[in-house]
Amino acid sequence: MTAVIENLDPLLRALGTTVLILVVSAVGSLVLGVLVTVARVSPIPVLRGAAWAYVQVFVNIPLLALLLLAVFALPDAGLLMPLTTTVIVVLTVYEAAYVAEAVRSGINTVAAGQVEAARALGLRLSQTLRHVVVPQAVRAVVQPLGNVMIALLMNTALAATVGVVELTSAVNKVNLVAAQPIPIFTAAGLTYMALALAIGLAAGRIEKKVAIHR
Amino acid sequence: MSDIRLPRRRFPLITAVLATASVAVAGCGSSDSSSDAVPGGGGDDAAASGLDAVYEDAPVADEDAILPESTMAEIKERGVLRVAAALDAPLLSQQDPSSPEDVEGFDIDLAKMLAIYILGEPNIEIVPPASETREALLQNGTVDVVFNTYTITEERAEQISFAGPYFTSGLAVAVAADNEDISSIEDLDGKNVIVGANTPAVTAVPEVAPGAEVTSFATDPQAVQALVQGRGDAYVQDYTLLLAAADANDDIKIAVQPFTEEPYGIGLPPEDPEFKDFVNTWLEEIEDDGSWAEIWEATLGTVVEGDAPTPPEIGSVPGS
Repeated sequence: MTAVIENLDPLLRALGTTVLILVVSAVGSLVLGVLVTVARVSPIPVLRGAAWAYVQVFVNIPLLALLLLAVFALPDAGLLMPLTTTVIVVLTVYEAAYVAEAVRSGINTVAAGQVEAARALGLRLSQTLRHVVVPQAVRAVVQPLGNVMIALLMNTALAATVGVVELTSAVNKVNLVAAQPIPIFTAAGLTYMALALAIGLAAGRIEKKVAIHR
Repeated sequence: MSDIRLPRRRFPLITAVLATASVAVAGCGSSDSSSDAVPGGGGDDAAASGLDAVYEDAPVADEDAILPESTMAEIKERGVLRVAAALDAPLLSQQDPSSPEDVEGFDIDLAKMLAIYILGEPNIEIVPPASETREALLQNGTVDVVFNTYTITEERAEQISFAGPYFTSGLAVAVAADNEDISSIEDLDGKNVIVGANTPAVTAVPEVAPGAEVTSFATDPQAVQALVQGRGDAYVQDYTLLLAAADANDDIKIAVQPFTEEPYGIGLPPEDPEFKDFVNTWLEEIEDDGSWAEIWEATLGTVVEGDAPTPPEIGSVPGS
């Protein structure tokens, strides 16, 4: 345990990087995911098809493959972004596919009659989505979205494989010198667990707050 | 799944969503520039057949050296030596992708020699370690030995035992072939330096160049790719690995000769002096009969000028 305490400073900074990646990708993927869902239920066939394809692509390619592609293949195509930025972008587009699937299952909980009613009231399509469908859909899937966010947290550890100094990578570095894998990795594991629990609890509370009592 | 279909009306949706969907999934060329870094040069077949002769004449331990109840006896009983070794280190321990059974290189060929010494035949089972799990693998008995460019340090020696050192190398610096502004260690200050994750370079670079920005990549091919793509100005790694990489890749060159001494040891389970003595005895034997040099010639020697170096003095390093 002494190894962890002696290296607390770099470890905490790395934890900061993990949290940064987590928060930015979480916000990004929630926004992007909802947009993809809206496209999936839109009346425009091209948009529906594109959204469907988007989800299929990102759900069916392993994240590590996407990360390696983004970090090592994009530069050859002339796009060289900083590593952390690259990882955040990849995590955002990847996790958005899962968010989109979760929100789409929520859309199915909104009774079709409500859309008819909204139309009868003269709401435009964008208004129907904004005021009637999406708010209810998202409220219905808070807990599943929480699970997607927990998966996102775990996925940030893959950033270590492409050179970003986040928690996992920093823990590896400390262990390289201290050579005490068991206590060091246990501490890291517990840290991830604490973060995941926090996300889970937050999701539970938000769900209670926004739940629709039918 | 009763999808809601929204009625068709004018639909001002941000089509920017679609822009993200076009993230190139094209160009799915294998991105990790997978182990095409096996240097030719020596001609692999020649090397392999040359080593066959070495295996033929490899020393085998006397019956009474395999003490009853010892680790050696346990390995002999099992009929296979379990080795923690890499599969992606050119010239040291490289798996042939087309025939996974073929793993060749300085580290792994020595491991086969040790297997012959105990079992009479080169029966090894390779467990690819992550650098961060080597101590744990030895402590919990998953492997018998570690051959993994395992630098002997006193911190590690508190956790496990080391036989050897069996080889001394050092960290060197590679840069892009057109880079002229790095010619010494001091030049690394303030530069972006790429290192291999969990290699001695991780700690050595900040020591020699405190102002350097260090980025680590998981594998050697990744690090080389990153250097070529300009993610860093220099790549600090073991000299022999860099030689192999520079040999296989015209875009990089060695800019600084080795500036550290890395004594590589054979990782052994802790608190097992019998096994340590046994492995050290074997090491001495293969160094004396010339097979150590022959293995070096067939592997690392293919990219290094000159004759095989003199192996380091066994037990000469703190921790060994």
